[in-house]
Amino acid sequence: MTCGAPLNVHDKVSDSGWREAPKLRDMTEFRFSASTCQVEGELVPVAEINLSPQDGVYFEHHVMLWKDQTVPLSSLRTAGGMKRTLGGMPHIVTVANGPGRIAFSHNHPGELVVLPLHPGMELDVREHAFLLASHSIQYSFVRIKGLANVLHGGSGMWMDRFITAGYPGLLMLHGAGDVLERMLRPGEKILVEPGGFLYKDSSVQMQALQLPVKIGMMRHIYMAEMTGPGRVGIQSMYVHHHAGE
Amino acid sequence: MNQYTCPYCRQPSDPSNPTCPLCGAPVDIKTVVSDSGWVEQPAIRDMAKLQFGQSHVQITGTRVPTAEFTLAPQDWIYFSHHVLLWTEPQVRMQTMKLKGGWNRVMAGMPLYMMQAQGPGHISLSDNHAGEIVALPLHHGQSMWVKEHRFLGSTGNVGYDWDSNHIWFTTGSGDEKEWHYPMGQYGDTFTASGGPGLLLLHSPGNAFIRDLHHGQSLLVQPSSLLYKDISVRMHLHLEYPRNQGFSFWSGNLDYRQIWVRLHGPGRVAVTSVYQPAEECEPITDFSYNTTSHRW
Repeated sequence: MTCGAPLNVHDKVSDSGWREAPKLRDMTEFRFSASTCQVEGELVPVAEINLSPQDGVYFEHHVMLWKDQTVPLSSLRTAGGMKRTLGGMPHIVTVANGPGRIAFSHNHPGELVVLPLHPGMELDVREHAFLLASHSIQYSFVRIKGLANVLHGGSGMWMDRFITAGYPGLLMLHGAGDVLERMLRPGEKILVEPGGFLYKDSSVQMQALQLPVKIGMMRHIYMAEMTGPGRVGIQSMYVHHHAGE
Repeated sequence: MNQYTCPYCRQPSDPSNPTCPLCGAPVDIKTVVSDSGWVEQPAIRDMAKLQFGQSHVQITGTRVPTAEFTLAPQDWIYFSHHVLLWTEPQVRMQTMKLKGGWNRVMAGMPLYMMQAQGPGHISLSDNHAGEIVALPLHHGQSMWVKEHRFLGSTGNVGYDWDSNHIWFTTGSGDEKEWHYPMGQYGDTFTASGGPGLLLLHSPGNAFIRDLHHGQSLLVQPSSLLYKDISVRMHLHLEYPRNQGFSFWSGNLDYRQIWVRLHGPGRVAVTSVYQPAEECEPITDFSYNTTSHRW
């Protein structure tokens, strides 16, 4: 399995250790399982999947751009339906099976983040950033615990959790703006604007932290405190969620 | 002796670097100038570094670029709280209260700025696709900036704000509405005690142009990005000739809202703007407003 990253360019790493997600070139094609994915466009890129008969992908229905008429769709109910609905999350994801072609895109400028997952990995993703996952990846969700998180954490009440058991899989996200990734050492902390959080290894702990500064009579700034070990991905375009009354 | 002056930030610079160390503009490219004289501000290259004091800022990304500061212990910056993307815990932050709080709140402007003091890393980004524009200011130099375009600044750049004096009203009596086509207030930044660095966010591409003494230009009010304080501005109303659409002479008022800029000085516009949509007849307007009917 590959991720489509160009191999003839250097990693771009900032002084503080943030690495830019590799920019996928227009029409880049890569394989997963017996299927292929081609990335088209650069401003609001499209992921076009050519599914082989034994493969399938699942996704939130609003990211489907087009598909061959013959590609069958089915629905997959997730647990915690009513609670997720109240939290603004879909309680049903859609599944497409091969053979045939199907394409996905989000509707704002950004980049596709291709994350091949090896067996035994767990990755947490902010709500609605998930574009698609191959059928070998287990899908669940994490309800962010703690009152402070619920009230002030901009990532909301839910994070999608993707787990690979015995088989590798492909996970694709859409990051708004530019996407940066940093590896945190054990115990290392970084404060991130909650709306900028995109994904993290499940080993990274996340909690809302109130900064000791006020921006109004009763308004404070809240950041997401991420504690390593593991990797953290952020997006540079976001809806900010600093203020809490 | 260094004879090179960066064509974009207008400061003495070092041509031996691939990018201007003061504003990040590429040195090794040919300046792109339109037939009418607009100079395209080249985007700061990914990972380019800009030096200030004992610190520097690195621009990362190209769609919605971020400004990642590496702050030395004695250096500090300020910014509006909503552009803070991430910070290391050791960066010391405090609020910077601004004068005229009530007026700022009523105008939809932030009541506080945030100050961040080194040592440590901190990163800022706007949440619109576009470019970061870096304006190095020499001691005593001032720059006017349209509201909501400010991203961050070094601590030695003073911040002030004042009314744009560009407005018009529609309706009358209880239905009178005030309109501020380029925002009610504008920001003014002035470097003192040494050179300073001002970072703006331009949604879309940025273009700069030098106006001669007495030269004037009409631009979309919301497209103005920054200007030298020597450039004067006022409202200009332009009424296209009515070619048979008589119903427009009733309750609607077909016109174009401009801001007229008068040289001398440098002006910059951005290619993303919000055109005025109001069509109600104008009942009053700011002092010095001009108009033209075709």
